[in-house]
Amino acid sequence: MSDPAGQNDLEVRGLTLGYPGRAVLRDLSLRMPSGRVTAILGPNGCGKSTLLRALGRLIVPQGGSVQLGGRDLRGYEPRLLARRLGILPQAPLAPEGITVADLVGRGRAPWRGLLSGWSTADREAVARALAAVHLEDMAERPISELSGGQRQRAWIALALAQETEILLLDEPTTWLDLPHQIEVLRLFQRLNRERGLTVISVLHDLNLAARHSDHLVLLGRDGLVAEGAPEAVLTPLHLARAFGLEARVMPDPVTATPMVVPL
Amino acid sequence: MTAGAKGAGMGSLRWTILATALLVVTVLGITLGETAMPLAEIWKGLRGEEGPAALTVRFLRAPRVLTALGAGACLGLSGALFQRLLRNPLASPDLMGFAPGAGLAMMITLAFGITLPPPLVSATGGVLAALSVAILAHRRDEGLAPLRLVLVGLGFGFTCSALAAFLMLTLPGPLALEAQRWLSGSLAARGWGHVAQIWLPGLILILLLVLQVRALSLLDLGDDLAQSLGLRAGRARMWLAATGVGLMAAGVAVAGPVAFVPLMAGPLGAAITGARRIGPALLAAALTGALITCGADLVARAAVPGVGLPLGLLTGLLGAPYLLWRLSLEIERGGL
Repeated sequence: MSDPAGQNDLEVRGLTLGYPGRAVLRDLSLRMPSGRVTAILGPNGCGKSTLLRALGRLIVPQGGSVQLGGRDLRGYEPRLLARRLGILPQAPLAPEGITVADLVGRGRAPWRGLLSGWSTADREAVARALAAVHLEDMAERPISELSGGQRQRAWIALALAQETEILLLDEPTTWLDLPHQIEVLRLFQRLNRERGLTVISVLHDLNLAARHSDHLVLLGRDGLVAEGAPEAVLTPLHLARAFGLEARVMPDPVTATPMVVPL
Repeated sequence: MTAGAKGAGMGSLRWTILATALLVVTVLGITLGETAMPLAEIWKGLRGEEGPAALTVRFLRAPRVLTALGAGACLGLSGALFQRLLRNPLASPDLMGFAPGAGLAMMITLAFGITLPPPLVSATGGVLAALSVAILAHRRDEGLAPLRLVLVGLGFGFTCSALAAFLMLTLPGPLALEAQRWLSGSLAARGWGHVAQIWLPGLILILLLVLQVRALSLLDLGDDLAQSLGLRAGRARMWLAATGVGLMAAGVAVAGPVAFVPLMAGPLGAAITGARRIGPALLAAALTGALITCGADLVARAAVPGVGLPLGLLTGLLGAPYLLWRLSLEIERGGL
């Protein structure tokens, strides 16, 4: 799914988000490259999640637009857009008593006809999604019996079963301990390398984001501070502007990606 | 694909129990009554042969039982649908003032001599009442909290009932008697017209609901995820609510505001069958609603010889303890 011309990039043009009289983000323009892993970073309340929700067409912009393949998201028929772009909210609600397989199966909704049953493609997609997050053996377990990490993986499997080109995730690593955080971020990288999946997620941990992303978007209280490769975005100057944080940036001893060390 | 093979045997046994209970109640409804008749006579009557039983069975008991089954199924489905849609085990239309609102609307048309189709009148009154309750009970920060919803619903319901009772005083005797029976819910003197009146719209609405089961299963994941999966969440919710209102109105129009059937049918059906997925859970709610209504009607006409008790009284006897139990459960959970 190489896309040198950036035809399937998710593009933000002059985007203003928020409520009347209280804009959270104003006149924002940027481009999320397709086929890459992008992380959106910034201090609390800077509008990271709001931006992600707008990218996923969950909120209507007050001004400007989000475009996919040169077309405004609002112009897409919802089901057709849902085949190209999926968004996993931060704290999704699991219906009472639902099993893992049932939950993941719902990710197939945009691909199924109103009355059609399960196609081979549906079954395979669900099986692949479960395998990708290593939950094959838990398929018939109720979600409520799963640990926090397993539960988060079940939600990710739902998004994977949707088989979109673009996957948006709102803080997918919250509630997870460090090993599980790394496991989830590696999974996204693997899916990106193997299937060309475009991954765009809101993350908190700067160093993990630098390690596991190709592209960073750094927001501050007054909008965009920087976007680009991790080395170009995570600089002392940018960090000071975005977070008001004095920090030194040095190469990560393991991966050589930028590592932020607060002073 | 996701129904596990294990537990299927257990599940089908539980479904058999529910189906058998429904069958037993139906058969008893046709065989029991004020005039005792031998089974052979009843069988003859049912097959259309002339005999002493023909009239009773074909014109009195069969339509009554069929109306009870249809109305019960519609009421049960409506309740289970709203409970799912609002994610609240107490958010059933009967507790939300729908029934008293429908009753008041009927009273207004009777008192002022307005002739409109009863289903339309009860639907309008019910919707207006339920909407008022939802708006009054809604808080921006916590949505429809279960306890507030119930309290506002009960208060609003009492107001509607009081107004309806006041209007009844203005009615002439026979009309008032008919109105009284209608207000408490009754299946007395139902004919084949009533059977058609519940089953025709009922079947259409059930078909509509079947088409929306998948939308409901997506809304169950929350609006954000439902939208991410390609559903127009707001529109889907509106259609589901309209279907639920239609089911409620259809049931109330033929049986009156039968208390607690919408509230109990869903949870009881799920408890009996163990159904968790939405489709089976709704089916269980419909069957259980039919079972409660038909069973309560059976007791209502057989409990005191010669006296037909109001149907609503019987379902109330069953439903009030259920509501108290449910409330105590919610309080323990801290859901209130």
